[in-house]
Amino acid sequence: MPAAATENKANVPKKGIFNNTTGFSTLITVTVLSLAWLAGFASRLFAVIRFESIIHEFDPWFNYRSTAYMVQHGFYNFLNWFDERAWYPLGRIVGGTVYPGLMITSGTIHWILHTLNIPIHIRDICVFLAPVFSGLTAIATYLLTSELWSRGAGLFAACFIAIIPGYSSRSVAGSYDNEGIAIFALQFTYYLWLKSIKSGSIFWSICTALSYFYMVSAWGGYVFIINLIPLHVFVLLIMGRFSQRLFVSYSVFYIVGLLLSMQIPFVGFQPIRTSEHMAASGVFALLMAIGALKYLHSLNPKGQWKQLLILGGLIAAVTVFLAVVLLTYMGIIAPWSGRFYSLWDTGYAKIHIPIIASVSEHQPTTWSSFFFDLHVLVCTFPVGLWYCIKNVNDERVFVALYALSAVYFAGVMVRLMLTLTPVVCVLAGIAFSILLDLVLREDETPAPAQDSDDKNLYDKAGKLKKRTPEPVAETGLGMNVRSGTLIAFMILLMLFSVHCTWATSNAYSSPSIVLASYGNDGSRKILDDFREAYGWLSQNTAEDARVMSWWDYGYQIAGMGNRTTLVDNNTWNNSHIALVGKAMASNETAAYDIMTMLDVDYVLVIFGGAIGYSGDDINKFIWMVRIAEGEHPKDIHEADYFTERGEYRIDSEASKTMLNSLMYKLSYYRYDSGGSPPGFDRTRGALPGLRGFKLTYLEEAYTTEHWLVRIYRVKKPDEFNRPRLPLAKRTIQTSNVMSKKTSKRRKGALKNKPILVKGKKVTKLD
Amino acid sequence: MKYKSLLFFTLFLTYYDANAQNRGKGLEEKVRNLKDMTVKYSMISLNLNRFKEYVRSPPRDYSFVVMFTAMAPSRKCAICQHVYDEYTIVANSFRFSSAYSDKLFFGIVDFDEGSDIFQMLRLNTAPVIMHFPAKGKPKPADSMDFERAGIHAEAIAKWIQDRTDVQIRIFRPPNYSGVAVFLVLFIFIAIFLYVRRNNLEFLYNKQMWAIIAVFICFAMVSGQMWNQIRGPPFFHRTKNGPVYINGGSHGQFVLESYIVAMLNCAVVVGMILMIEAAGGVNGKDVRAQEGKRRRFYSVVGLVLVCVFFSLLLSVFRAKTQGYPYR
Repeated sequence: MPAAATENKANVPKKGIFNNTTGFSTLITVTVLSLAWLAGFASRLFAVIRFESIIHEFDPWFNYRSTAYMVQHGFYNFLNWFDERAWYPLGRIVGGTVYPGLMITSGTIHWILHTLNIPIHIRDICVFLAPVFSGLTAIATYLLTSELWSRGAGLFAACFIAIIPGYSSRSVAGSYDNEGIAIFALQFTYYLWLKSIKSGSIFWSICTALSYFYMVSAWGGYVFIINLIPLHVFVLLIMGRFSQRLFVSYSVFYIVGLLLSMQIPFVGFQPIRTSEHMAASGVFALLMAIGALKYLHSLNPKGQWKQLLILGGLIAAVTVFLAVVLLTYMGIIAPWSGRFYSLWDTGYAKIHIPIIASVSEHQPTTWSSFFFDLHVLVCTFPVGLWYCIKNVNDERVFVALYALSAVYFAGVMVRLMLTLTPVVCVLAGIAFSILLDLVLREDETPAPAQDSDDKNLYDKAGKLKKRTPEPVAETGLGMNVRSGTLIAFMILLMLFSVHCTWATSNAYSSPSIVLASYGNDGSRKILDDFREAYGWLSQNTAEDARVMSWWDYGYQIAGMGNRTTLVDNNTWNNSHIALVGKAMASNETAAYDIMTMLDVDYVLVIFGGAIGYSGDDINKFIWMVRIAEGEHPKDIHEADYFTERGEYRIDSEASKTMLNSLMYKLSYYRYDSGGSPPGFDRTRGALPGLRGFKLTYLEEAYTTEHWLVRIYRVKKPDEFNRPRLPLAKRTIQTSNVMSKKTSKRRKGALKNKPILVKGKKVTKLD
Repeated sequence: MKYKSLLFFTLFLTYYDANAQNRGKGLEEKVRNLKDMTVKYSMISLNLNRFKEYVRSPPRDYSFVVMFTAMAPSRKCAICQHVYDEYTIVANSFRFSSAYSDKLFFGIVDFDEGSDIFQMLRLNTAPVIMHFPAKGKPKPADSMDFERAGIHAEAIAKWIQDRTDVQIRIFRPPNYSGVAVFLVLFIFIAIFLYVRRNNLEFLYNKQMWAIIAVFICFAMVSGQMWNQIRGPPFFHRTKNGPVYINGGSHGQFVLESYIVAMLNCAVVVGMILMIEAAGGVNGKDVRAQEGKRRRFYSVVGLVLVCVFFSLLLSVFRAKTQGYPYR
C-alpha cells in the first residue's frame, strides 16, 4: 500500500515527458487521482482489518444512532426528533441541535443503493463514508491546487492529502464524524470560490454558495470559511485589487450563502445575530460602498477620484466597524462565544470554561505533533508559500491567508490541525512540483508544444514559463546534480509515505471501544469490555433504566446499550454535568441524595487499574471535581482531593475526601485483581488506600471480564440500612389473642372494656 | 453570712459587667481604629504591637488576611513583587466594592519591619498569605498555597471566599499599557506612511511580505504558541549537564522550539536555493549565471535539505522512543 502511494507520486513529474498530447496528460491525471483515492481508502482500513467493521469512539456513536433513526423514520421525523433518552430529565431536541449534513449524506447513499437493490446495512455505509470521502477530498485538493498553480502541483497535493496522518486521523474507517466529510466540503468550497473570483461569473458564485451550504450543514467549522473569504476580499480591497469579478462573486456568494446557511435549524439566525459572522456582512457593506464610489468614478472620470476613493473607503470601513461595535453593545449582536474567543485569548478557556479546557484536543500544539501529523511537509510548505507570495495574484493571496490563519489556529489547538492539513498539502505540492519540474525538465529535448498547465493560469505574474529550449550543456545543472536531487527527493517522499502509513495504522486506527493488548510473544488479545458492559445493560436492565456515568460515555451507552443517560458528549448543559460530577465527587450519602433526585438506576464507571488502561475515570476524576466546583463551590473543593503536598494519589496517603468519594469507592469496590499484591492498581502503580469496604446505597450489578467497566445498581430506599432480623422475629407475636366468639357473644366485645362497679359510694376522706 | 455572700455576688456582678463592657468597648474601638486605618490605604501595615493587638488578641469578630513578604530590594525576592501587586488588587477591590464591611481586613508584614512576627509564627519563607479567622486558630488550609492555586488576584479572591465566605469581585485597574503600545505603534505607522506617502514602494515588496509570512509559519509550526500558553523552562539543567530536548512528546523547551525553527528554516532555505539554482519559477536570470555556480548552489541546497531534515528526524526520534517504528 505505501508502495502504491510512492509510485503514484513518482508518476507525477513524468507527466512532463508526455506533455505533447493532452490525452496522455489526462490519462495520467485520472490514473494518479484514482490511485490516490485507492491508496487513501486502503490506508484507512486498518481498523476494519484488525478489528471489525465497527463505529469508533464517542461522537460517531451519536451520529450513527441518529443516522439509523433517520433511515428508519424518515427525514422530517428526524428533524422533529425529541430524544428523551439523553440528558434525563431534560431531553434533547436532536433535529435542532445537530449538523444534519453527515446523516443526510449517508442516508442518501443508503437510499440510492437500496433503490438499486443493493442491500447494505446503514452501519457499513457509516463506517466506510469517511474513507470514501477522503478520495473526494483528494480530487477537490487537486482542483484547488491546479487553480492556484499547475496540474502537476495539484497531483502532488492530491497524493499528499490522500495519505497524510493529519487528515486520516479524523477519517479512518469507522470514525463516522462531521470532519470526515467537512474537509471535502471545505476544499471544494475554496476551489469554487477561486473559480468564481477568477471568472467573475454568477454560475460559479452560486456553486460556491451551494457548496458552502453543504459545509454549513456538515460542520461547525464553516465559520472558518465565512471569515476567511471576507478576509480575502478585504485584503484584496486593501491591495487595490478591486474588480467587477470580485464584486459580483462576493456579493452573490454572500447573499445566497447567507440565506442558505440560515436554512439549517441548528444555525438559524446566527449568521445575522452573532459576532462570528459579522466580518462577512461588514466586508459586504464595504464592498458595496467601494463599488458605488467606483461607479461614480466611472460617470465622471476626471477630478481627484483617487483621494476621494481612499477617503470614502476609509470612512465606510470605520462606519461599518462602529456599527458592528454599537450593535454588539446594544445586545442585538451576540458577542464572541467562548469557544471562538478562546482562540484569540488563549488563557480564557482555562479560567472560565473548564469543560473546554478538559478536552485533550483543545490543548495547544507542540512541534512534535506538527511533525507527527505532517512529517516532511511541515518543512517544505513554507517554500510553496514563499513562491505564492513572490508570484502573487488574486488566488494566491487567498492561499497565503488560508495558510497563515490555519497555521495560527493549529498552533492554538491540536484539533484545528485538521484545517491546516489541506493547505499544507497544497503548498507542499506546489513546492515539490516547482522543484521536480525544473530538475526533470532540463534534460528534455526541446518540446515546442505548450504545456497544458498554462491554460489554467490567467495571471501573467505566476506563469510557469518554459525556459527557452537552448543547448545548455555548460550552463545546465548537469546530470549528476539532477539525478542526485531526484534520488534525494524520492527518498524523502518514500520516508513520508512510510511514516504516513505507520502513523495511520498505529496511532489513529484504534476504535477505542475495542482495545487490543499485545503479549511478549507478539500475540494479540482483544479486550471487548465496553461492548460486554453495554450489551449487559441492554439485556438485563429495564427498558427505561437511567444510567449515570461521566459524559464521555453518554453517547456509547445510548448507542450500544440503548438506555437513558444523564449527560453525554454534547456538552451543552454545564450545570447538569456539574451535578453528575458532584455526585461522583461526594461521599456515598451525599451522592445518594443527588442520585435519587436525578432518578438514577445504575451507575457506570470505567476502571482501568486491572489492565493498566490510562483513560479511565480515576484519571479523569480531577476534571469532574473541577467542573463540579465551578457550579457548587460550597460543597466541592478541589484542594480536598489532593494530599497535603498537593499530589494526586490513590494509595494510603490519599486525602480523606478522595478515599470517601463515590468515584473512588465504585472503582475499587471488591477489587482484588491485577498485579502481585491482589488489588494492585496497575494504572497508577499503587495499592489503593481504602480496601475491603462495603457499599451502603449501591450494589454491584456487573463487572466486565477485565474490570474495565463496572456497573452498580442504586438501591431503593427500602433496601438499605435495615437491621437484619432473624426469621423468628419477623413474625408478629399473637399468642395471647384467643377467639372469644362463643355463641353467646356474637356481637363482639370491646377489649379492655372498662368495668363499671356499681353501688358503692365513695366516702370522703377526712 | 447572708450579707457577705450578697456582697460578694454584687461585687462579682459589677466586675463582670465592667469586664463585659470593657471587652465590648475594646472590640468596638479596635474595629473603629482598623476602619480608620483603611480609609486611605486598603492594606494595614503591621508591626509587632499592632499585630498582637489586632490580629492575635482574642476579642475579634473579624477575619484578618495578612501577607508576609520581603519587599526590600536587598532580599532579592522576585516573586514578592508579583504577589504584592496581585494582593493589592484584591485589597483594593474589596475596599472599594459594595461588599466592603468590617468583617475582613487586609494586612501586610514586611520582613524588615516585623522579623519578630516571622519568628513568632515560625515562618521562614516569603511571601506567605495567611488568614486569621475570627474564631479559633489558623488551620493549615488558612495559609494559601501558591503552587496549586497560582498567584493571580482571582485565585487569592477565590481562596478568601473559601475561607471567609466574603466574595470579592476582582476589579483590575484597566491595563492601559497594551492599548498605549498599540496606539503608539499605530500612530507611528500612520506617520511613517504619511511621511513616505510618495514612496510607498516598500509596501509592494513581495520579498518582505514573503519573509514575514514564512517566519510566522516557522514560529507556529515550532510550537511558539505552546510556549506562550504553557510557559516551559528555557532548557532543563540536570546534574549531567543541560538538557535541550524534552524527552516526552507532550512537552518541549523554549530552546528546543528555537532549534526546531532553525532546522525548518534551513530546510526551506535549502529548497529555495535549489529551485533558484535550477532556474526559478519565472526562468529569469538563468543565463546570467554560469553553470558552475548554479551547480554549486544546487548542491549546497541539496546538502542543506538532507542534513537538516535528517537532524530534524533525529531530534524527533529522541523525543519519541524508537521512532522508525517496526
